[in-house]
Amino acid sequence: MAARMLAALGLLSAALPAAAQKPDCSLVPGWTQHGPARSFEPDNLFEYMDGNAEGYLLYRFVRMQGVTCRSGGDTVVFDVSEMADPEWAYGMFTANRDPNSPTEPIGMGGQILPRKATFAKDRFYVEFSAEPEKDHRAALRAFALAMEKRIAGRSRPPETLGWFSPEGLKPDSVRLVPESVLGLRLLQRGYVAEYEFGKAFLVAESSPEAAAGVMAKLRARFTGSQAVAVAEEAFRASDRYLGGLCFFRKGRYIGGFANLKEGEDAAGAAARLAARIP
Amino acid sequence: MDGKASRRSFLAAGLAAPAAGLARRTMDVAYGVGAAAPVSYRTLGRTGLKVSAVGFGCMITSDASVIERAAEAGINYFDTARGYQGGNNERMVGAALKSRRKQVYISTKTHGASKQAALADLETSLRELGTDYVDVWYLHGIGNPSQLTDEALEAQQTAKQQGKARFVGLSTHSNQAEVIQAAIRTGKIDVVLAAYNFTLFKTLEPALEAAAKAGLGVIAMKTMAGGFRKARPGTDLHARLSRQGAMLAALKWVLRNPNVHTTVPSMTDMDQLEENLKAMREPFSEADQQILAEHLRHIGPLYCRGCNRCLDQCPQGLPIPDMLRCLMYAEGYGEFALGRERFLELPPQAARVRCRDCAACAVRCPNGVRVAERLIRAQELFV
Repeated sequence: MAARMLAALGLLSAALPAAAQKPDCSLVPGWTQHGPARSFEPDNLFEYMDGNAEGYLLYRFVRMQGVTCRSGGDTVVFDVSEMADPEWAYGMFTANRDPNSPTEPIGMGGQILPRKATFAKDRFYVEFSAEPEKDHRAALRAFALAMEKRIAGRSRPPETLGWFSPEGLKPDSVRLVPESVLGLRLLQRGYVAEYEFGKAFLVAESSPEAAAGVMAKLRARFTGSQAVAVAEEAFRASDRYLGGLCFFRKGRYIGGFANLKEGEDAAGAAARLAARIP
Repeated sequence: MDGKASRRSFLAAGLAAPAAGLARRTMDVAYGVGAAAPVSYRTLGRTGLKVSAVGFGCMITSDASVIERAAEAGINYFDTARGYQGGNNERMVGAALKSRRKQVYISTKTHGASKQAALADLETSLRELGTDYVDVWYLHGIGNPSQLTDEALEAQQTAKQQGKARFVGLSTHSNQAEVIQAAIRTGKIDVVLAAYNFTLFKTLEPALEAAAKAGLGVIAMKTMAGGFRKARPGTDLHARLSRQGAMLAALKWVLRNPNVHTTVPSMTDMDQLEENLKAMREPFSEADQQILAEHLRHIGPLYCRGCNRCLDQCPQGLPIPDMLRCLMYAEGYGEFALGRERFLELPPQAARVRCRDCAACAVRCPNGVRVAERLIRAQELFV
């Protein structure tokens, strides 16, 4: 009975909207809420994001709360999306950031652009977009920093990011691919990093045995693959679309490189990546 | 309730027999570049563009290699939008298709609320796509005819005059029939992009037919009925939908309709691409019909389609669609807490009334949802 009550309390507390994560125009002096607050769940997000909802659902979207803030003639649309866990929130951020602009250490990662600001902290992905056309960075930064303080929880990016060697890595290019890494259904979810000389990836399976099973299927898929000595098992191959590639397995992780430029040492690049995995 | 009868008529209208006016038309069949699978092409209304019957919805694609492979296989219509992946999607699509720009058609969309904002969006799209024109430029997500403003239409005409958009269109996900009729009336919209699948057809097919007759190009999206993606691994629904052929059957069902000129299913990997290519060489079969009927049998009695036709039917004044939505959160998405939270926000009668106490339920769902049974379940779960 007590256990059931505790479980019910747990469910109730999970159901209660956390005030701290609610968007709030008064976070920045001089801004006031215009119109009612918004709230969306997976099955009605399309009412708000008509045409783009799937991009959120893919990152395990749970719910969104939003408000529109005004100050003088300026408007900021302020939305907080809750994802299933911090990794998905960070993944959402990586998928939507502008690769041509710098990121900032706001939460797990953030970006302030003239009319848009985003950041991820814990399991929340926060977005601000401003009207009209002009540089709104000061206001957007004030909102982002104030909101970042309100959200408790994880502000370190996933550890996996540090496993990609910085040599030749394009800045801020590591992103979480929610399904079909490298366009291969076998690689269900993982990180992809862009290098000057190719593309690296890292996928975590549930166990070394599961990873070995996926490796066997990958080897069968790339006909003419050759075994190479990297980590616990590895092969290299050439593919019409993925170019020169080398995949390896280390414990429950599958990683490697693809689209390597001609003359690049596929096995060497893969070995360097494998060596950084603890 | 007579759920079975409703469901049977639903199935009969949509699956067992072709809907009215769906006489098969001759389609051009050609072989894609370097591909063994034949790709069929259709004419996109008055634009005259010869588009592959299966196009490519790029929204959730994360690897350019899948797009390159599709283009090589003969798919020649690629759909993206300014807003997808914060603009990163256009960048990837542009990079993937750069070497074959003249052999493919690219469409993108704007949410720009004013003429100036829309045209600024187009400039950004062109820059990100690495091209100086798009083949179709859409007003994104029009859900009401009032959104088809003179200013929006003017922006599109300006883009055409400047040679930055060859043709213009609108995309719609809600209130679709009305929006499509409004698009026809403008005389300025060349293409409509609408959500069309085996669960959404009764009200839409007349509008699609009218659009095609008026010379508009008609493109179908959400051809896999969305719910395929929502099904979570480990659930019965996921297992059922993952069964080989379910996605293909849904796509083939859409392609039966000659008023649909191309489709833009989302694709994230090579396997999905290969499967979708099959839709152009295999006819919709008895087996496909059974697969889709099974899916409809599953969702039919359970999921509210939100038509609101039950709203005033309950003498106790229950907010039926809202209650069913709460149940869907809990059972369909596994979000019990969310379902309960929403349920407790409903008018008090939702928790006070007990459907078990009624001798007979007065509510008749036109889509075959077993309303009484589902409401009892919601009351058991949340109250």
